[in-house]
Amino acid sequence: MEYTNTPNNLGTENVGKLLMRYGIPAIIAMTAASLYNITDSIFIGQGVGHLALSGLAITFPFMNLGAAFGALVGVGASTLLSIRMGQKDYETANNILGNVLVLNLIMGIAFSVVALIFLNPVLLFFGASEQTLPYAQEYMLVILSGNVISHMYFGLNALIRSAGKPREAMMITIYSVIINSILTPVFIFIFHLGIMGAAFATILSQVIVLCRQLHLFNDKDCFIRWKKGIYRLRKNIVTGSFSIGMAPFLMNAAGCLIVILINRQLLKEGGDLAVGAYGIVNRIGFLFVMIVIGLNQGMQPIVGYNFGARQYDRVIMALKKSIFFATVIMLAGFIIVELFPRMVASIFTGQDDLIGIAAPGLRWVFAFFPLIGFQMVVSAYFQSIGKAGRSIILSMTRQVVFLIPILLILPNYLGITGVWVSMTISDFASVILAFILLAMELKKNKQDYNI
Amino acid sequence: MEQYYAITIGRQLGSGGKFIGEQLSQRLNIPCYDKELIQLASQESGLEKTIFERVDEKDSYSFMGKYFGFRSGFMGYSESNYLCNETLFQIQSDVIRKIAERESAIFVGRCADYILREHPRCLKVFILSDPEERIARIMSDMKLSHADAATFISRIDKKRASYYNYYSQKVWGMATSYDFCFNASKAGFDSIVAMIEGYVRAKYMSAD
Repeated sequence: MEYTNTPNNLGTENVGKLLMRYGIPAIIAMTAASLYNITDSIFIGQGVGHLALSGLAITFPFMNLGAAFGALVGVGASTLLSIRMGQKDYETANNILGNVLVLNLIMGIAFSVVALIFLNPVLLFFGASEQTLPYAQEYMLVILSGNVISHMYFGLNALIRSAGKPREAMMITIYSVIINSILTPVFIFIFHLGIMGAAFATILSQVIVLCRQLHLFNDKDCFIRWKKGIYRLRKNIVTGSFSIGMAPFLMNAAGCLIVILINRQLLKEGGDLAVGAYGIVNRIGFLFVMIVIGLNQGMQPIVGYNFGARQYDRVIMALKKSIFFATVIMLAGFIIVELFPRMVASIFTGQDDLIGIAAPGLRWVFAFFPLIGFQMVVSAYFQSIGKAGRSIILSMTRQVVFLIPILLILPNYLGITGVWVSMTISDFASVILAFILLAMELKKNKQDYNI
Repeated sequence: MEQYYAITIGRQLGSGGKFIGEQLSQRLNIPCYDKELIQLASQESGLEKTIFERVDEKDSYSFMGKYFGFRSGFMGYSESNYLCNETLFQIQSDVIRKIAERESAIFVGRCADYILREHPRCLKVFILSDPEERIARIMSDMKLSHADAATFISRIDKKRASYYNYYSQKVWGMATSYDFCFNASKAGFDSIVAMIEGYVRAKYMSAD
């Protein structure tokens, strides 16, 4: 945990240095997570075919939903665990570990069973067509069968982080990315397992790192570990986890809803290829967004502490520097995508028609990315200074409130372009909102601090 | 920790728990920490006092927080988020533990009984009192009408319970969490103070 070397140097050390120290590990972890998605898409697009890419894009909302249920247990339980670890209450901490295991088993299996029973109608609702359904089906059959493993892997990783081993948790994520990107091409190109091969690789890589996680909690020196009597579900722990995990659950569920809507609109306006194009746009966009999320995690403790300590100049310096770096990251993405959209799309597929749809999509979606860095940092800033409500408003407006109505209206007039442009417009609107909220906040702070 | 002892006092609002703490403080000649803990947590961490006051013995502070679990912001708790309730509780509990290690002391509220659960010589007390008596005390202390005092009491007690239950994973006011529970309306302050003092002198001070 960070407690040992803080809080004092958070208030004194060079802000830029602090941002590097806290930001870089978070950026590495976030980038690893999105590389995982990108390599899967690349191997499927190049090795299985462009329709498989569309089939994969159809399954994105399923992934969001799985992550939502994972967060429902994982985020809450790791919060509870952090409190107990801080209090050196290892008995309760141990019960949390046992309860997390059982809860993830139950939820993981229940989700699989329900999803497998309704797999076809759900995929059709998500925007599958006759051509893409077999791919989506094949992929989800494997992913859902192994769902309990994915749940366990994400749940335990959150606990490992809270149990004071954030480095270990980060390394486990990186291992799973490396193993997956070795296994996927082997299964696709050598064993010719098609899209199913990618799913196998995902689950198998999670099985391997899960073994490492299970082993970690076997360590006799570890304060919390597997033992008798920790598996009985306790009301406090279950309700506590769920009530904390509800917000991240809803955020992920909202994300799921949006992707369904985007896919359905694209299918209606442009068929399977347009859905596949979103698969590409989504992955590339995600890469840059995740880097900024990593940066934001690095900014949080610096802004939070100094705001609390009334070192207002340091708060502003951290905010300014974060906005600067976020803008640089997003600007880099913007320049690459706007100058070479076809080249970026061709990493995923050799199919010319698909590249032809993905390239303008990338250009539209990235149009305001240089400003989205600012928007994301402001959202994280509000969370850091304890105003979670405003932070939620900012992320929800961009992804949901602004996006849904435009997404329902615009494609009727502009076709596929309308889908891309609706993201551009909601991005722009959310940047303006972020600017207004931040300006109000800074003005208020200036009065409070008599500057 | 061995040579010192601690008394923790949980209390309903208006039951006079703080008053009993202060009386004991004079009789036993040890400090009594109540609101002072906020000042100390602020000094210890370098964070503003108001930050601690905002979360002091309260549950999450909004409708959203209460019903949708936005207790620690939507990303959940992380050690790096300094202004989230869990971190502030951690800082305050470190302060309580540090005090208990360096001197004998009385702590009013703030989950001290849970925080000091491993303390070998810690007496955990809970003070309750009849509703009308509590209302009367709050009416005179805060210059409130009867109805306002009653709502104020039930609101604050709910917050204290929620705070206690969340951080201690126990139930606020439940007898099993404490060593002594006194109804101040029945026993009266003087005899409660005398009983606790007698117990402490016999149990913790006789060896000295």
